[in-house]
Amino acid sequence: MKSASSLSAAVLLALLGSSLSANAYDADWKRGRIYYRSVCTSCHVAMPIGTVNPSAKTMAEWASYLQADKHAKGKDTVKQYLSKSYRASIKSANKAAEKFADVPDQELFDDLKAFVTKGAKDGDTPATCS
Amino acid sequence: MKFHRLVLAGRFCLLALTSLLMTSSPAIGDAKPLKLSTTADHSKYKELQREFSSAPEVTKACLACHTEAAGQIHRTKHWRWEYLNPVSGQKLGKKTILNNFCISVASNYSACTSCHIGYGWKDASFDFTSEENVDCLVCHDTTGIYKKPPGLAGNPVLKDTELPPGSGKIVKGIDIAKVAQKVGKSSRDTCGSCHFFGGGGDGVKHGDLDSSLAAPVRELDVHMDATGLDFTCASCHKTSSHDVAGSRYTPTAMDKEGVHIRGKEDKSNPATCVSCHDNAPHKKEARLNQHASKLACQTCHIPEFARGGVATKMQWDWSTAGERDAEGKQIVRKDEKGRIIYESRKGSFVLGENVKPEYLWFNGDVRYTLESDKIENADGIVRINSLGGRPDDGKSLIWPVKVFRGAQPYDPVNKILLKPHTAGNDDTGYWKNLVWDKAIATGMRDAGLPFSGQVGFVKTEMFWPITHMVAPKEKALGCGECHRDNGRLAGVTGVYLPGRDASKLVDTLGWGLVLLAAVGSLGHGLMRLLSRRKPQGGDMKNG
Repeated sequence: MKSASSLSAAVLLALLGSSLSANAYDADWKRGRIYYRSVCTSCHVAMPIGTVNPSAKTMAEWASYLQADKHAKGKDTVKQYLSKSYRASIKSANKAAEKFADVPDQELFDDLKAFVTKGAKDGDTPATCS
Repeated sequence: MKFHRLVLAGRFCLLALTSLLMTSSPAIGDAKPLKLSTTADHSKYKELQREFSSAPEVTKACLACHTEAAGQIHRTKHWRWEYLNPVSGQKLGKKTILNNFCISVASNYSACTSCHIGYGWKDASFDFTSEENVDCLVCHDTTGIYKKPPGLAGNPVLKDTELPPGSGKIVKGIDIAKVAQKVGKSSRDTCGSCHFFGGGGDGVKHGDLDSSLAAPVRELDVHMDATGLDFTCASCHKTSSHDVAGSRYTPTAMDKEGVHIRGKEDKSNPATCVSCHDNAPHKKEARLNQHASKLACQTCHIPEFARGGVATKMQWDWSTAGERDAEGKQIVRKDEKGRIIYESRKGSFVLGENVKPEYLWFNGDVRYTLESDKIENADGIVRINSLGGRPDDGKSLIWPVKVFRGAQPYDPVNKILLKPHTAGNDDTGYWKNLVWDKAIATGMRDAGLPFSGQVGFVKTEMFWPITHMVAPKEKALGCGECHRDNGRLAGVTGVYLPGRDASKLVDTLGWGLVLLAAVGSLGHGLMRLLSRRKPQGGDMKNG
């Protein structure tokens, strides 16, 4: 009996793994770049903190920051600013939000992560906000 | 009990299978993410699923399928760096011409050819028939990590390497297999990896091409706007058999061919405004279309260049190069914005942002001062290139240009411009040694040109028609920018410009008529006033 349960669990995991790998999203750093510059930066310019260059952090710092998902020192989340609902709320005044209105949240999150990782201080191409 | 558990396990598996099938064959609205810009995911090709010890190995893998690609590249200017102008007969191309930026490719191959579309061009013996030395990745990289550092003859760095040797600076090796597996269409980033950085740095050369165009906003370029039309370079510079249309050696100054239509064979340049917009593009203000017979579209629609926050070089004076500090070291001076305005190895620079172009008549004819051309007036200004054009030749329009001014070495005895050996970690490279005599002797020897041993400096100008950074229509030039005294077209002759130009005769006649009309009106009024019949009191009372 134990073997039957183990078998089914193994089959399930294998199938799910196969499913996930078939659908693995290939992040688009260029879309992340547009969103970062047009949405994140355009807001940050007006906020007290000012702009944050991708090259202001290392790849590890960006990974840690995005993993923690704490924006404004934990007052809200990063993901919230990448969500469809947020994009819908600003799309009348923000062309990037309008252009990417229908992009799934996780894809846009991965795109942004790909851009800041690539543009990090120790990334392949350290990048600025503009 | 056992049976029930087996059934349960079976149901579990069935559920998993169903889940998988649903994920693999989803409805269109919930389709799996995939690349929509290409029909081939190169990461799935076995030829590319391996380690590569050199970049040419990648090319071999590419050519296994794309069998004609290298041969197509071999026919292009991007590969040959040579071009025979069919009108002037001048032999042009980077390989031959001089400019007033870094001056010349000859004897500086390893540095300059980091922007060659090939691998290994380190001297004049480069094999231009080699297929495996064609660099597919420099145009087709989508990762943004592919780079060809200066000094390596167009080769990328595959392992962590100290560059320049002895500098202590480590250039990270790139994962070239990853780059190869993710190839795709060319983009602003790939074209820009060379064309944004011409002249030795971001925005240096063209003025209307710099890294701000990688992902520009609408105000910077209405066509390339990353959140709008999102044109790539190839949207206009239509490519055929890997040959990219639109050349600064033979530009189209006036396009009389009209729009390009799908299905219709059209051999005219597709990289003109007219090829999409036609010659009468202004629908609401038809009067503006009359301007199109005299003005290039760019004249009104590119009010300034270097608008993206990246400065362009406007002047370069090589004659001031060579200073050293008290310790004998090379000097770098910067302006208040941290931008370099002097380097011992290069001389002094003047930079500009948001620069208003200069304007001239241009008919598409570009003539260069070649390496063998004599400089008869060294006290004047030598034009590295001259743009032909007259107001009455039926082929010219008024164009905006960046005029790049400088001073560069020439031979006062042989009366020719000089080609110095600048880059290179050797005993004669000027950038290392700051000795003109040795650097020029090497450069001229490598170029196969005579050198008297004497070095002078001559003032030069180079003209760059401005055609990128097209502003939105609401930011185009207004009438008052030109139709006034000392307006933008103050120096352009051969056209009557209301508001700028005046004819004494016409002015005298016009003002005379105004005066006559005023005198007539006033006289008439006065006469009426004086001749007015006064009413009599009896009449009023008696009605």
